[in-house]
Amino acid sequence: MFFKGIHSRIKIVLFVFIMLMILIVFKVFYIQVIDYERLNKYASGLWSRNLPIEANRGLVYDRNGVVLADNLTTTSLVLIPNQIINKEMTSSKLSKILDVSVDEMKKHVYKKTSIERVHPEGRRLTYDIADEILSLNLPGVYLVKEAKRNYPFDTYMSHTLGFVGIDNQGLSGLELMYDDYLTGSYGAIKYFSDAKGKKLQLTEIYEKPQDGINVTLTINHEIQLALERELDNALSKYNPDQALGIVMDPNNGEILALSSRPNFSPSNYQDYTVEEINRNLPIWATYEPGSTFKIITLASVLEEKLIDLEKDTFHDSGSIKVENARLRCWKHGGHGSQTYLEVVENSCNPGFVSLGLKLGKETLFEYINNFGFGKKTGVDLNGEGSGILFNLDNVGPVELATTAFGQGVSVTPIQQITAVSAAINGGYLYKPYIVKSLNEPVTNSVIKLNESQLVRKVISEDTSSKVRYALESVVSNGTGRPAYIENYRVGGKTGTAQKVKDGRYMVGNYIVSFIGFMPADDPKVVVYIALDNAKGVTQYGGTIAGPIARNVMLETIDVLNIEKRKGGMPKEYNYLDKKYATVPSVVGMNVKDAMKLLKSFKVEFSGSGNTIMYQSPSVGERIYEGNVVRLLLTEGGD
Amino acid sequence: MVRLKKQTIDILLLITIITIAIFGIIMIYSASYIWAEYKFNDPLKFVKNQTLFFVIGMLLLYIVSKINYYTYFEYSNMLLLTCIILLIFVLIPGIGTVRNGSRSWFGIGSFGIQPSEFTKLALIIFTSKYLSKNIKDIKDIKKGVLPLIILTLLIFGLIMLQPDFGTGTIIVMTIMGMLFMSGVKFSFFMRIGMVGILGVVGLIIAAPYRVARILSFLNPWKDPLGSGFQIIQSLYAIGPGGIFGFGFGNSRQKHFYLPEPQTDFIFSIISEEFGFLGVIIISTLFLIIIIRGFTIARNCKDLFGKFLVSGIIFGLAFQTVLNLMVVVGLIPVTGVTLPFLSYGGSSLLITLASMGIILNVSRYQK
Repeated sequence: MFFKGIHSRIKIVLFVFIMLMILIVFKVFYIQVIDYERLNKYASGLWSRNLPIEANRGLVYDRNGVVLADNLTTTSLVLIPNQIINKEMTSSKLSKILDVSVDEMKKHVYKKTSIERVHPEGRRLTYDIADEILSLNLPGVYLVKEAKRNYPFDTYMSHTLGFVGIDNQGLSGLELMYDDYLTGSYGAIKYFSDAKGKKLQLTEIYEKPQDGINVTLTINHEIQLALERELDNALSKYNPDQALGIVMDPNNGEILALSSRPNFSPSNYQDYTVEEINRNLPIWATYEPGSTFKIITLASVLEEKLIDLEKDTFHDSGSIKVENARLRCWKHGGHGSQTYLEVVENSCNPGFVSLGLKLGKETLFEYINNFGFGKKTGVDLNGEGSGILFNLDNVGPVELATTAFGQGVSVTPIQQITAVSAAINGGYLYKPYIVKSLNEPVTNSVIKLNESQLVRKVISEDTSSKVRYALESVVSNGTGRPAYIENYRVGGKTGTAQKVKDGRYMVGNYIVSFIGFMPADDPKVVVYIALDNAKGVTQYGGTIAGPIARNVMLETIDVLNIEKRKGGMPKEYNYLDKKYATVPSVVGMNVKDAMKLLKSFKVEFSGSGNTIMYQSPSVGERIYEGNVVRLLLTEGGD
Repeated sequence: MVRLKKQTIDILLLITIITIAIFGIIMIYSASYIWAEYKFNDPLKFVKNQTLFFVIGMLLLYIVSKINYYTYFEYSNMLLLTCIILLIFVLIPGIGTVRNGSRSWFGIGSFGIQPSEFTKLALIIFTSKYLSKNIKDIKDIKKGVLPLIILTLLIFGLIMLQPDFGTGTIIVMTIMGMLFMSGVKFSFFMRIGMVGILGVVGLIIAAPYRVARILSFLNPWKDPLGSGFQIIQSLYAIGPGGIFGFGFGNSRQKHFYLPEPQTDFIFSIISEEFGFLGVIIISTLFLIIIIRGFTIARNCKDLFGKFLVSGIIFGLAFQTVLNLMVVVGLIPVTGVTLPFLSYGGSSLLITLASMGIILNVSRYQK
């Protein structure tokens, strides 16, 4: 029989089949267990469709938590063409609501894509339109949340804050610079779909969008408001071509306010020219500083101990001859014989030329470089200019002389205010900055804190205090008097620079500026104001920019709680100026003696009796003559 | 005709067959209702047809299990001749209908009958008779084996005219398997294997790109929308099923990702819905049928019965393994259905009838 052979062959066959089945089961095990992660990920990508949900863009705050840029929630139309059953009807209904042609809408509805946005007609819909679309209850038609950027103060600080495009992408200013932080990440509603794009009846997964990171600025909203207001006032009063202002904390480089004109409305940025939008003047503009630059010459010469402000003198005949050039003083006929303090007060050009010549070009330019001129300050804003200095090799006595009083150099406002801050804060040059911290969106806790960065020490504490003294004197006695604030010890320097066009100075066209700080004994704030081609007035920095700076400084007194000072310099009066007088102490005196001491003031009494118990204002304060002094009387005494 | 004492049929085999066939119907429902609704606007279209064939098939199984298998010994020539005539008829346009690119069907209403399925069984019966009668000559290739090879290649040729490569391959391999089990020398299969290898080498020399295409199953992601499409979609069904599966009815790949999921790739859907545990259970059921089948063949007292049962089981096992290896990505796509589980009336009918024959053989055991 053949059974035995057949049976052994059957055994072989059976063995092979069993082995193959085991191989198959192992392969399935590999696919379902070992390769599970990868295949499941791929397959989920295949099955799931995402309805994107936009994240909120990070907010921008001032230093005290005032919101400068936030988001409005709007809705946008999203179509999933494969889920739309009646495409004709859907197209016609949507086209009516959105006021688009039916053909245009059909393009969207019939598009072979998984998700279609109706752009731009279907973006950022108003509540009414969104509600109308929702009430149609059409399959495949969705409304998703979209956040629209909102600037509560509109044109306020527009260059610095910048603006965003239709997709909330930062296009300029901080919005652009910090776009990566401010932009959150999309969330999504994930749903499962069949291969034809129809939604499956499976659970939807909601992925929360990750909101963008908040940015907190060093800006003080109230000071910024004051600066904006003052620039607007200046605009209507003088109609300058351009105007700008910066307020800085001299002790750490924090920018408290900055703005410029022309400005723009970030929500309607399309209506403005590229120049209007892009030029953030406080950091971009580059021009001859004029006399405000003399502060640098002054600081250098004091640090080098080349003069004694009060003892050394200079005779100004109205011009000074350097090599073959005759450099004139702004005052016709000159200032005559003056101490160097008076040279500073009078902003006397020949006087500063003499200081420049005393320093020599190497020394002066070393200080100019150390004060940060000629290169970007590194402020954390886009579009900073670097200014222009003479190449040291090309500097002859004339160039040295003009540089000493602020001509022939070109600087940016931010360089100017940063350098002056260093000159008056004890000699510390800080890197200016505007972003104080990046904050986590939910709790607003600090993720990254920007701290002040010392660039270098430029001059000594002692020199700095002399500079402050000289500049306080400028405001009390010299060209800066329009910025004087009684009891708050303002220091400052005016600047009036001719504009250069095509290599020649323009006639009757100046940039007038004022840089001021207070209090002079312990500066808390520096204010820089400049107007380009102010019209209808004699263009002097002191008379135009000085009062603007003064108004801004007045505001900072309240905002920063700056205390009244004692020991300030009294203002020197012109015949037009009202006089100040110091209030004497009358507490404890009888009425008759007190009246003698207070004869230059108006006196009002309250209470009854003959002895003065309390006086207001208190002793040492300086008020206008003829102002009211209130006295509270009591019985008793002698 | 041999008269033997009747015993009871193999109950374990019967229960396994019924279990797997009913499970097949349930899975055809789950896999096909989306597709059926889309194509015929009737989600139950496929499951209704399959249920009808299942009922007819079970009746057939019952009847066949009562018919003494030696009956086929008597009629084998006539059966095979009829089938060959049908194979020729089906090629004639107007008589045979074309489905999925092959003229393989006789259309009767919405049903289709595939003569190639019947031919497979008829040829197994014929071969069993031939081998049992010529067992002494089997060592002589020319005298014993060659006539059968020629007949098989003739039938293979007819089927390839449809064309139906899958069924043709199964028929040829089943006859080869039967020859192997009958005791044909190893050297014969070695030589056939050599010819096969030479053929493959020739193909590589002639058209390397075709080889690349065939080998694309090794990395289907090379051509995800072309040759790799089906296998990727199959892996996307099996993989995410994980150990326990998504549960009955919850396949995602049947939602148009995997085309015609009720046919060749139904195992993917089973893996997706029932996971690795489901795969183990299905594999076990198939193994029970295969092992019981070969056991019945061994215990059969006559050569005809042995060849008949082992031939049927070999065909079933070969088709099962071929289908599963395609579905899990071990070999290139061949277009072979999975016995009991894939949708297909003729196939289920013939499979159940064949099982009936085996069950009848199981009544006459040592």
